[in-house]
Amino acid sequence: MSHKHLLNKTMTTVFALVLASMLFFSASIRAASDSTVTYAMYGDIADWDPASAASLEVLMLVNVYEPLLWYNAPGSAEQFSPALATSWSVSDDGLSWTFNLRKKVKFHDGEAFNAAAAKASLDRTMKLGKGLAYIWGNVESVTTAGEHTLVITTKNPQPVDLIASSQYAAYMYSPKAAKSGADWFNAGNAAGTGPYTVRQWNKAQQVVLEQNADYWGGWNDSNFKRVILKVVTENSTQLQMFKGGEADFISLAPADLMDSLNKEEGLSAYTIPSWKNSQFLINTQKAPTNNKKFRQALTHIWDYETVVKEIYAGTAEVGRGPIPATMWGHDSSIQAPAFDLKKASALLKASGVSKSNWKVTMGYISTSEEYKNSALLFQANASQIGVEVELLPGDWGTVAGNARALETAPNMQSMTWWPGYATPNDWLVGLFRTDKTNLFNFSYYANPKYDQLLAEGIALEGSDRAQAIANYGKVQRMLMDDAVAIFYADIKQRVARASDIKGYKPNPAYASVFFYQLSR
Amino acid sequence: MGKYAFHRLLMMVGILIGVLTITFALSRVLPGSPIEMMLGQHATPEQIRITKAEFGLDKPIPVQYYQYVKGIFQGDFGISLRTRQPVLNDLLERVTATFELTTLAVILVIGLGIPLGVLSAVRQNTLSDHVTRSFSIAGMALPIFLVAMVLQMIFYGWLKWLPLQGRINVEVLLDYPFDRVTGIHLIDTLFAGQWPAFKSALLHLVLPVATLTLASLSIVIRITRNTMVEVLSQDFIQTARAFGLSDRLIYYRYALRATLIPMMTVIGLTYGFMLGGSVVVEYIFDWPGLGGYAVGAIVKNDFPAVMGVTLFLATIYLSINLIVDLLYQVVDPRLRSA
Repeated sequence: MSHKHLLNKTMTTVFALVLASMLFFSASIRAASDSTVTYAMYGDIADWDPASAASLEVLMLVNVYEPLLWYNAPGSAEQFSPALATSWSVSDDGLSWTFNLRKKVKFHDGEAFNAAAAKASLDRTMKLGKGLAYIWGNVESVTTAGEHTLVITTKNPQPVDLIASSQYAAYMYSPKAAKSGADWFNAGNAAGTGPYTVRQWNKAQQVVLEQNADYWGGWNDSNFKRVILKVVTENSTQLQMFKGGEADFISLAPADLMDSLNKEEGLSAYTIPSWKNSQFLINTQKAPTNNKKFRQALTHIWDYETVVKEIYAGTAEVGRGPIPATMWGHDSSIQAPAFDLKKASALLKASGVSKSNWKVTMGYISTSEEYKNSALLFQANASQIGVEVELLPGDWGTVAGNARALETAPNMQSMTWWPGYATPNDWLVGLFRTDKTNLFNFSYYANPKYDQLLAEGIALEGSDRAQAIANYGKVQRMLMDDAVAIFYADIKQRVARASDIKGYKPNPAYASVFFYQLSR
Repeated sequence: MGKYAFHRLLMMVGILIGVLTITFALSRVLPGSPIEMMLGQHATPEQIRITKAEFGLDKPIPVQYYQYVKGIFQGDFGISLRTRQPVLNDLLERVTATFELTTLAVILVIGLGIPLGVLSAVRQNTLSDHVTRSFSIAGMALPIFLVAMVLQMIFYGWLKWLPLQGRINVEVLLDYPFDRVTGIHLIDTLFAGQWPAFKSALLHLVLPVATLTLASLSIVIRITRNTMVEVLSQDFIQTARAFGLSDRLIYYRYALRATLIPMMTVIGLTYGFMLGGSVVVEYIFDWPGLGGYAVGAIVKNDFPAVMGVTLFLATIYLSINLIVDLLYQVVDPRLRSA
C-alpha cells in the first residue's frame, strides 16, 4: 500500500484510540465532595517539626496540632478559646501562669496528653531555639503541679496567654515524637491532638489529612472527613483549578483578578484584615534623615492613597501608625500624614539642612513589585521639590546586611512586619526599641523614654491590659511625632474560596484555615 | 571500540568536574542567600549564623569546594537546604518521574516525527509538505509554557477531558495504593494490579507528554525531511526505482537507513533538550521530577540541590551522547576506526 495510505491509517488509528480511551476513562475529574475539602498551597511542607516550623506549614499545623489556647478573631466576645487548657490564671506579681489542662485527651500516636507532655513539648521547643521559639525567651521555668496542671514562670511579667496562643512554636506534641526528634517529623510524621491526622504525604504533590475519630471535640455529619492540601506552585494553574471547581481554596489569588473572580458563579474572592503592614523605616542617625523636620517632610512626600489604590490594587489600607488598625492596642487617634508637597517643602526649608544635602538612599527587596513601584512613585514626587532619591534594591540577605550597619545603612529601608503572637508590642519592640545589635531596628531609633514606657506597658499586658494600651498609645504617638517611618500600608489578606463552603471565619492571628469548623 | 569508549568515559569525568566547578562558583557568586530565604525575613542574625554553620556554609569557599568534591566521590551530594534530605535521595526519588515523562515523549516524537518528516520529504512542495513545515516552525517558535497552558485551558478548562496537574489523582492513590517498584507509575500500577490507578496515571501523563512532544516534534520533522530530501536525490535511489522496487521499500528500508546517523544525533539532542524542557513542563504541571526540583532549588538558591541536579542532568546528557556515539559505530561500519 502507498505511503500516504499507511500514514493515514496510522494517524486515524492513533486518533481513534485516543478518543476512545478518553471516553472510556472519563473519570469524574472534578469531585466537589461533601466530605472532602481541597486547598491549593503554593509550595510543599518543608518543615514538619511543630517546634521549628515557621511558614506555610501553619496550614497543616493548626489542623493536626493544638496549643493551650486559641486567640479569637477581633470582635469576638471572648479573647481566647480554650484548646488544650480549659482555664488559666496569672499570679498577682504577673510572673507565674497556671494552666489547667484538658483531661482524657490523647495524641494521635496513643500517648496521653498531660502536664508532663505539655512540659516536654515546651522544653524541647525552647531548647531547639529555632523558628519562633524566641517568643518563650522570657520564660524561667515550665513545671508540672499535678497531672493536669502546668505552671509557667517568667523573669519579667509577660502576656503568657497571648504567647501560648501563637500560630508557631506553641503546639503540644507527643513526648514519644519529641524523643524521636526532627528527623521523624520530617519524614512526614505527626503526633498532635488535633481534629485531623496526617494520612499521606506525597512529596511535592499533596498532603492528605483525615478525621481523627477520637478527637475530643467530637464530630458531626457535616464535618469534612478529608482535607487535601495540594501543592500547586504555578499561579495560573491554581486559578484554573479554582475555576474548575477542583480547589475549594487557593493561596495565590492575584490582586487584580479579585473582582472578576468574585463575580464568577460558585466562587468568592475578597479581602480580610490581617496583621501585616508595610513601611519604609527612616534612619534617625544618618544625615540628612537624622534631622526631625527633614524626616517629617519625607512623610508628606508619600502619596498614600495612590499607593494602596493603584500599586496594591486595593489589597491594602492606608497605614495609620506603626501598628495595624486591626490589632488591639492600636491608637485610633493616629492619622496618616497628608500627601502635601507644599507642606513638605516648607518643612525641608525649616529643617536647616542645606539644599545640596537633600539626598536620601532608599533600600528595598528587589523581588517585590509593590516596593519597587512605591519607591519609584516616591522618587518622582520627591524630585519635584528638589529631593534626590537613590534607589537601592537588592535581595533580602544583602539588603538586611547593609541595613544592620550604620555605615552601609540607607536613609530609608523597606520593612514588612507581622507579629510572632497576638500583641502590639511585637512591632514596638522588634522595630523601635533601642537595639545595639540592630536586628530589625533599621530606624536606629534609640529613645530611653520610649523604651521605659514600652517596658512598663509590656509588664502590664498580662494583668492590666487597659493600662498597657494606654502606654502603647503614648509610644505610638511618640513614633509618629518623631517621624521614624513612613507607615504606608495595612496589608489585607486575600481569600479565594468556593462559595458553598460554610463556617469560614477569618482570624488575623492564624494565616491558615481551620477545616474542622467548615462544612459544605 | 572499547578503547574509544574508555577515552570517552575519561573525558566525561573531566567534563563533569568542570560542570561542577562552574556551577559551584556561580551558585556562590550569585546574590540571594539561601539561609536567609529559608529562615524568612524575621530570622535573627544569630539564628542565621547557627543554621549556616549547620550546613557548613560558614567555612571559606575553597574548603567548601574541596569538601563538596570529596563528598561527590563518596556518593554524598550534600543535604538540600530546603528539604533537609540528602540531595542524592531527592534526586533518585524524582528521576523516575522525569524518565517516565521524557521517554514517552521521545517515543512519540520518533513515532510521529519520522513518518511526518518522510511524508514531507516525499511530497516535497505539495500541500502536505507546506502544512507540516508550517506546523514545524510554529512548534519551534511557541514557548513551551504557552503550549502547556493552552492545552490545560482546552482539555481541562473547556472540554473537561483531562486532569490539570499532578501525577495521579489524590483519591485514587489513597484508595488504590501500589508499591514503588520502578518509580514509573505506569509499570508499578500494573505490577500491583491496580487498574484505576493505572488509568489515572495514564490520564495525568497525556498533557505533559503532549506538551513535551509538541516542543520537540518540529525539530525531528525538519531534520528527517531535510536529510530524506538529500538522500532521495542520490543515485542509488534512482537505481532502486529502476529496479522496480516499491515506494515503501525505498523510503523505509533504503532511504531511511541512510538518514540513521543524523537521526540518531537528533534523537540524542532531543532527549537532552527534553531534559531542559521538562523543567518548564514539570513546573506548570506540578510533575514531581528533576525539572521541578531544579526550579525550586534555583529560586531559593539551594546550593547543594542546584549542584546536585546540574551534575545529575549533565551526567545523563553526556551518557546519552556517549551511547549515541557508540551506536554510530554499530550502525555504520564505515565509522569503525581501524
